[in-house]
Amino acid sequence: MTAIAGELAAVSGAALRSRGQYALFWSRLRRKRLAMISLAFIGLFYGVALFAPVIAPYSYTEQNLDRGLEGPSADYLLGTDRLGRDLMSRAMYSARTTLIVTVAVLVSGGLVIGNTLGLLSGYRGGWVDGAIMRAGEVFSSLPGLPMLILINATFSPRVREFTGWLDDHTFLSGLTTSGFASYLTVFGALSLFFWVGTARLIRVQVLQLREREFVLAAQALGGGTAHIIRRHLLPNVAFLIILQLSGTLGVVAGTEIALTWFGVGIQPPTPSFGGMLFEGSGARTFAAHPHLLLVPGLITSGLLFAFALLGDAVNDVIRGR
Amino acid sequence: MSQNRILAILLGVLAALVLVVGGLSAVLLLSGGSDGDDAASGGSGSSGSVDSGAASGRLRLGGGDPITLDPALAGDAGSAEYIVELFGGLMTLDQNLNVAPDLAASFEVSPDGLVYTFKLRDNAVFHNGRAIEANDVKCSMERATERRLASSTAAAYLNDIVGAREKMAGSAQSVRGVEVVDRKTVRITIDAPKPYFLAKLTYPTAFVIDCQQAESNPRNWTLKPNGTGPYKMREWRLGERIVLEAHAGYHLGAPKVSQVLYQISGGSALTRFENNELDVANISVNDIERVRDRNNALNKLYIEASSLSISYLAFNTKVPPFDDVNVRRAFGLAIDRQRIADVTFNKMISPATGILMPQLPGYTADDKTLKFDPEEAKRALAASKYAGRVLPAVTLTEIGAGAEGAIDTQAFIEQWRQVLGVQVQIKQSDAATFFADVDAGRLQLFNSGWILDYPDPENVLDLKFHSRSALNDLGYANPTLDGLLERARTEREAPVRLRLYQDAEREVLKDAAWIPLYFARQHVVVKAAVKGWTEPPMVIPRLRFVSIER
Amino acid sequence: MGAYVVRRLLFLPVTLVIVSFVTFAIARFGPGDPLSVAAGQLRDPEVLERARAEKGLDGSVFEQYGKWVRRAFNGDFGESYSIQRGRTVRELIMPRMWVSAQLNLIAIVLVFGIGIPLGLLAAWFQGRWLDPLITTTLLGLSAVPVLVVIPPVLWLFAIKLSLLPVGGWDGVLEIYWIADVIAIPIPDPHLYIPIAAMTIPGFAGVARLVRVTALQVQLEDYVRTARAKGLPERQVAFRHVLPNSMLPVVTAIGLSLAGVLEGAFFTETLLGIPGIGSLTFAAVVSRDYDVILAVTLILAAFFIVMNLVTDLTYARVDPRVRVGAAARV
Repeated sequence: MTAIAGELAAVSGAALRSRGQYALFWSRLRRKRLAMISLAFIGLFYGVALFAPVIAPYSYTEQNLDRGLEGPSADYLLGTDRLGRDLMSRAMYSARTTLIVTVAVLVSGGLVIGNTLGLLSGYRGGWVDGAIMRAGEVFSSLPGLPMLILINATFSPRVREFTGWLDDHTFLSGLTTSGFASYLTVFGALSLFFWVGTARLIRVQVLQLREREFVLAAQALGGGTAHIIRRHLLPNVAFLIILQLSGTLGVVAGTEIALTWFGVGIQPPTPSFGGMLFEGSGARTFAAHPHLLLVPGLITSGLLFAFALLGDAVNDVIRGR
Repeated sequence: MSQNRILAILLGVLAALVLVVGGLSAVLLLSGGSDGDDAASGGSGSSGSVDSGAASGRLRLGGGDPITLDPALAGDAGSAEYIVELFGGLMTLDQNLNVAPDLAASFEVSPDGLVYTFKLRDNAVFHNGRAIEANDVKCSMERATERRLASSTAAAYLNDIVGAREKMAGSAQSVRGVEVVDRKTVRITIDAPKPYFLAKLTYPTAFVIDCQQAESNPRNWTLKPNGTGPYKMREWRLGERIVLEAHAGYHLGAPKVSQVLYQISGGSALTRFENNELDVANISVNDIERVRDRNNALNKLYIEASSLSISYLAFNTKVPPFDDVNVRRAFGLAIDRQRIADVTFNKMISPATGILMPQLPGYTADDKTLKFDPEEAKRALAASKYAGRVLPAVTLTEIGAGAEGAIDTQAFIEQWRQVLGVQVQIKQSDAATFFADVDAGRLQLFNSGWILDYPDPENVLDLKFHSRSALNDLGYANPTLDGLLERARTEREAPVRLRLYQDAEREVLKDAAWIPLYFARQHVVVKAAVKGWTEPPMVIPRLRFVSIER
Repeated sequence: MGAYVVRRLLFLPVTLVIVSFVTFAIARFGPGDPLSVAAGQLRDPEVLERARAEKGLDGSVFEQYGKWVRRAFNGDFGESYSIQRGRTVRELIMPRMWVSAQLNLIAIVLVFGIGIPLGLLAAWFQGRWLDPLITTTLLGLSAVPVLVVIPPVLWLFAIKLSLLPVGGWDGVLEIYWIADVIAIPIPDPHLYIPIAAMTIPGFAGVARLVRVTALQVQLEDYVRTARAKGLPERQVAFRHVLPNSMLPVVTAIGLSLAGVLEGAFFTETLLGIPGIGSLTFAAVVSRDYDVILAVTLILAAFFIVMNLVTDLTYARVDPRVRVGAAARV
């Protein structure tokens, strides 16, 4: 087997950037059956999330008190919760929440910031590296989950006040009622923390790369920082970025679920898997009504598993296995 | 091709790990040894189903860490649960919620109803054996009202005593109204002839403490308080367990159970009950059907009791749209509490029939609240000043412990949508945010509850609805109501007084300042061997009446 | 190297000051305060005002922070205002810290104790028919959230089979007496479920990492070169393959510790274990300022030291990462 990683190391510069390499990457990935299944699952998940309002049989708030806590039936394919709300519809809308949060965190700073700072830090070294890494250290030394809980708990009332103000004083309206405030808080807080991991990973890689012959050679030839990062480093860490993308999505999704589970994430009535899991999470609740936990539990586990499998497969392909 | 090499590495690493893990577990064994010794010397080993401690008169309960054991500060039922067993005051409540003497042997009220003279019992002693004297009563009240302590319970419940307000504000050195007459006599003067004053004395903030102990160790004296109650603290391991031990010299007779163990950590109480780790367990909504089933063994152990607590929806009557009584009524008429109680809560709670609950003086069984009536609700909304206009956005706020809104709140929201066509938002806040928002008058509609601290209608009606009460968080003011409440304060004829409160209750309900939701009920199972267990409707000393026969 | 360590260590207090101020400010940024939580339904604005003055909770954030720093220098980290009123923070945190420390220590030892050999074992299976099954299983174990797994496990072992307690904490060891003479310490049954919940995702992750790096290192130039030079296999294995495949594992120690700690949040909350995780959550929602701050600082100091150790080991293991290699660009 030819190793793409080997080629990466040997051939400097425009390795993975050429279309041929990406085609090769894709054709290799396509041969991984599990990866394809995962990709299909993730695609399905996001598809359902996107079209939830169209395909969900019920609204996520619609209650039928007399039909509470039922198991699966023809009317309610996945059963109902304590208020007689359709679990399938709620799961679809929860997927929508996951979609919004993951995409927002990804597009927002998380990865962009992380990648830029990581490359800069690793390559420039010196005070740039020092400053970025110290900043990263401050962030990562703030224990993540408790800090996210703290930030969400204290900021979300303030953010809500702010969106309420926007509602009243600007042409924007309906922000508060759309649950925008809790999305904003959750994704803001997540972005704040998610750049550090990416930046570190990339920095370490760059630290190793910059001592390699091809970078040294480029330096000797008088290449500037921007040039070297763009021409020599970025292509070489591109595979890491792909890896990180596939890994981070899962982590972001999982963290949102965790925060909501703790009651500081997405606010009801906007459904989230975190909230659904919380409803079903007592041991005795599980004994009496297992579907309350199993429906959101299996979906989230499936999603996180799929993200992990995909990440793994991408990793394998990049490293030529 | 590379497998041999990997195998070699594997073996090497494995060997290293065995050493590391072995070493670490040895360290753990040594350090953990003290833990084990502790448990062993505790008499009965640890958990599990073999518990010899139960036979030796040990009662095993579930519980939580009290927020504080300082009687002057505690304001929550969870803390009071322990405090009433560890401490006592001049007066207490008997099993029927009648005010009865505790540390006082007897008392006299002056004809004008202002001066109470208490004679202390000769045999009443602290846990350390020291006799309780009038000075102890005086200094306990002085301490509770100290400015430095800034106790909100003292501000609410000791403020009738002459001079207490001045003391708390820092403008007086001592509480004039509490005087030591002689070694065993104390005299308390109050500002008006308030018949419920004695009931207030049964609340922890008026309890007697060992002032010397509190002064010598202001921060941590409550870890092993020298109280006057039937039980004394033997061990408090934060988050793990609390062990109380009978106070043999207790003046009302030594308790029968020698040790009470509260297991603080751990999961489902019923499971622990069934695994024989607990003697008493609360029943959750998931298990209630099983317990109610006559064929289930648990059914014979099941006790259901009412409690002096009410949950309600409160309106801020100053902000739109709830500044119009018709809107408030419409919201009350549009929700079907009976159905939610029956279906969603499995009949574990009962819809409130008013503000005063069963077992509280003044309670009447007839339903005085707004009954579910969609048509009437629509009419009420149509009669409001918002008829034909878009109703201002409405948000219902509640204290959220979990990820989802309270189950009944979500049901209400759906019913408001269906009946009134109003889309109400839920907002969940943590306690800190919630209280700050309530106090700032920022909330329109919120979900809350009230547990009575002493069995008198004054404790809810006057405190929550009088327009000048510091605890009225509704912006609600009704002069007629204020008049009724003020007359009731000093009315000394009990039947007349209760009628005044009933009128006041009707007044509040007419204005729909609250939508009373439910009266809470308690559901527990108690092991057959535990005799004399009661579920009183409010926190009163009860452990000393319990015995164990195995 | 020495200078680098000194510099990093000097930076530690600076980081702690930044972290403490940020936490301090964030906690106070939210509406409400612990005193109103403590007063609950008996909140009286006038009394609360007095209480704030008495506790020094009036004044600006900077004033309050200044006061806190002065007290902290005297070893007084304040008191709890709302969750355990009046208790000193130290007294509140220490027992819970000890519970969490024991849990986490056992978990982390198991994570690496099981993860590393398992990973090498998995590497050894590479290319055989079991390989996909093993890697997929490991992946599944590391991906499934604890939140989902604990309730069914509890139900099965505690309710259905009545084998294990339904949660709680009773120390690490239970003494099992044989005829009241011989004491055999056995792990307390309360431990099994939380330890499993905290360990399994971790060791699966470590195993995957070890597997991947062990395989990757095989392909590296220097290994090939070493082999081409004719070095004995054992020397290649221990001098080149092992140290280099440990490189990511070293970084993983910090990461998995963080993971284990965060897993402990859910585990402790779900199982009613009186550890630092459940304490932190309670402190945050009731704005118990001093408790939040103390917990955050302790965890932060811990993370920073872990990072430092990670970086230093990193530099030792991989000489190419030159410590503090100042800019040469």
